[in-house]
Amino acid sequence: MSIVMSALQYLGYILIFPGFLFCFLAGLLLCGIDRKLVAKMQKRVGPPILQPFYDFFKLCGKETIIPAAASSKTVFLMAPLVGLASLVVLQLFIPVFNFTAFSGMADIIVILYLLLIPALANILGGAASGSPYAGVGLSREMVTIIACELPLVLVLLSVGKAVGSATGEGLTFSFSSIMAYQAAHGSLILKASMIPAAVAMLMVIPGETGSHPFDAAEAETEICEGLLAEYSGPPLGIFKLSHAIKMLTMTSLFVALFLGGIGGGIESLVALAGLSGAAAGGVSVLLEAIVLFLLCVVLTVVCISFVHAVTARLKIEQIFKFYWTVASGLALISLVLAWYGL
Amino acid sequence: MFKKLIAESMGKSPWLFHINAGSCNGCDIELVSVLTPRYDAERLGFKLAGSPRHADIVVVTGPVTTQSLPRVLRAISQVPEPRCIVTMGSCPQSGNVFKGSYSVAGPLSKYVHVDVDVAGCAPKPQAVIDGLALATKILKEKREAK
Amino acid sequence: MDFPFVKEAVKQLFSKTSCAMYPAVPSEAAPHYRGRIVYHPELCINCGMCERVCSGNAITRSSEKVEEGEKITMTFNLGSCTFCATCADFCSRHAIEFTGDYHMVATKEEDLLVSGSFIKKPPVKKPAPPKPAAPAAAPAAGAAPVKPRDDGKPVNDPSKCVYCTLCAKKCPAGALEVDRAAKTWTLDEDKCVGCGTCAEACPKKCILI
Repeated sequence: MSIVMSALQYLGYILIFPGFLFCFLAGLLLCGIDRKLVAKMQKRVGPPILQPFYDFFKLCGKETIIPAAASSKTVFLMAPLVGLASLVVLQLFIPVFNFTAFSGMADIIVILYLLLIPALANILGGAASGSPYAGVGLSREMVTIIACELPLVLVLLSVGKAVGSATGEGLTFSFSSIMAYQAAHGSLILKASMIPAAVAMLMVIPGETGSHPFDAAEAETEICEGLLAEYSGPPLGIFKLSHAIKMLTMTSLFVALFLGGIGGGIESLVALAGLSGAAAGGVSVLLEAIVLFLLCVVLTVVCISFVHAVTARLKIEQIFKFYWTVASGLALISLVLAWYGL
Repeated sequence: MFKKLIAESMGKSPWLFHINAGSCNGCDIELVSVLTPRYDAERLGFKLAGSPRHADIVVVTGPVTTQSLPRVLRAISQVPEPRCIVTMGSCPQSGNVFKGSYSVAGPLSKYVHVDVDVAGCAPKPQAVIDGLALATKILKEKREAK
Repeated sequence: MDFPFVKEAVKQLFSKTSCAMYPAVPSEAAPHYRGRIVYHPELCINCGMCERVCSGNAITRSSEKVEEGEKITMTFNLGSCTFCATCADFCSRHAIEFTGDYHMVATKEEDLLVSGSFIKKPPVKKPAPPKPAAPAAAPAAGAAPVKPRDDGKPVNDPSKCVYCTLCAKKCPAGALEVDRAAKTWTLDEDKCVGCGTCAEACPKKCILI
C-alpha cells in the first residue's frame, strides 16, 4: 500500500508540481512576461502575456515537414523530446527552498550534466536536419556552451566551497546541505564573498537560455534561426517550450544557490499562522512555489528582458571573450575569497 | 476541445515570412514599419519568422522576376500547412509598371493560389495590418475546416 | 562595454507607449493621400487620355452597342495602379478622383476593379445641321472674327494659326488633321469628343473652344 502511495506521490511530483505541468505553465508565462516587458521597454504595447501559449498550441496544429536532406528522421524528431525531458528532470532536482521532490538523489554535478543535455539535443537535432544554416548555428551553439560552462562551474565551486568550509565538510556538492546552511544562516547572497559569484551567475543566465545579446546561435536575421531552421510544427513548438522552461530552470537555480534563506522565513510565517502537520506542509510548499515563481519573474526581468532591450547581438568571439574574462573573473574572485574562508 | 484551442490559437499567433521577388524595396520598408513601435504588429501576435518552415503567412512583394520565380515557389512550398499567401503592393498582382518586361514572370497568381491581395503602391502600414488580419482569419478558417 | 539605452529603456517601462492602436482606433490618411480611385462616368467624355498616360496599363476602355447609342465602360484595376495620379492630372473633365481611402484589401482580383459606364449618344442629330455649316464657315472665317461654337467643339482662328500640327498630335481621338504645306486645319466632328486638349496645347492660343 505504501509503495503505491509513494509511487503516486512521485508520479505527482513528475507530472504536476515541480515537474511537467508546473514547468509548462510557469515557463510559458515567464516567456510571455519577458516578451511583454521587452516591448514596453521599446515603447511598444507588446503581445498579450498568454502569447507563448497561443504560439505553442498553434505550432501543435501545424504540419511537420521532415527535410529531404535529414540524415536521420528519428534523431530529428526525438531531439526536441530529449531536450524537454531533461529540462523537466532538472527542475525536479532543483530544490524549491526547503522542498525537494527527490532529495539526496542528485547534487550539483548532476545538474551541471543535465543542463548540457538540452543544448546537446539542440545540436543533435540541428545536425540531423542537414541544413547549412543549422551547421553554422551548431558551431556557434557549441562555442556558447563552452563559453558559459566555465563561469558556471566556477560559480558552483565557490558556492560549494563557501558552504563546505562553514559546515566543516571542506567542499560540498550537495544541494541539501547548501539549502540547510542557507535556512540556518541566511541567504548566501548576503555574504560579501559570494556577491561576485552571484553577479557572474546573473551573467550566465542569458547565455544559457540563449537570449538576446548571446543568441548568435539562433540569430534569425542572419542564419534563419540557425539550429531550428528546418523545424516546423510540434517539434518546433517543443523547442520553443524548452527554451521557455530553460528560463525558469536557470532563474530557479539562481534562487536555490543564492536566495535559499527565504524558505526559512516562509516556514516560520506558516507556523505563526497557527497551522501544523500536513496542512502546514502543503501551505508552505504552495507559498514557496509562488515566491519562487515571483523571484524567477524578477530575475527574468533583470537579466533577460532588460538586457534584451538595451543590447545588440554580440559576435561569437565576443561572447566567448566576455564569459572567459568578465564572468569567469568574477566567479574566480568569489572562489578565492571562499577558499580563504571569508 | 483541444482542436478548438488550436484553431483559436491559429488566429492569434500568425508568423510572417517575407519574400522579396524583385521588389523596389518600397513595400519591404512599409512591411517592416508595421513591426515598429508606431504600429507594433506584435500586439496582434504577428512575428517575423527567420525561416519559411516557421511561418504561417507568406508575404510576397515585387513583380516576380524570372530569376526569383523558382526561389519564390520553392520557399512557398516549404511553408507547412495551413498557410496563407498574401501579395503586397500592385507588383505581384499584375506586374504594375514592370508589366510586359522580358524579365518579369509574374503575376504570382499564375503559379500559386493567392489568398489575400493588398493593393497600393506601396500600401499604407494600416492597409497591411488590415490585409494580415484578413489572412489570419482565413488561416483560422482553413484550420477549422481540417 | 557601453549601454546607451539603459536610461531610455527604464524610462519607457513606466511611460505611455507610442503605438497607434490601428484596428481599434481608426486612422485617416494624410491630406492629398492618393488612395482608391473614384470614377465619375457622368463627367467623362471618352477622350481616352487617361488610358494613354497610364504607366501601369491599369485603365481599360470597352465599348458596346446598345439601343440608345454606345455604352462606354472604363475599368481601373487598382491591383495594377501605381497611384501616380497622372490620369487625374490629364483628365480635362475631372472625372477621375483619388480619395483618401487606403483600405484596398481583397481576396479576389475582381474586388480591386473600379469601373463605371455611361452611354454616349449617337451623333445622329448633331452632324446633320453642322455638316453643311462647317465648310461654309471656313471661308467666312477669313473675314469675320472667329467665335467659339456652342457645342463644345474647337474652332481655329486661321489668322493666328501657324499650322504647327501640335494640336493634331495631342488630340486623343485623332479628330484633327493639319497640313503644313496646304495650310489647312480640318476637324472630324464625329471623332471629336470636345476634350479641349488641342486648345491647351496650342502655342499660339488660336483654337477656341
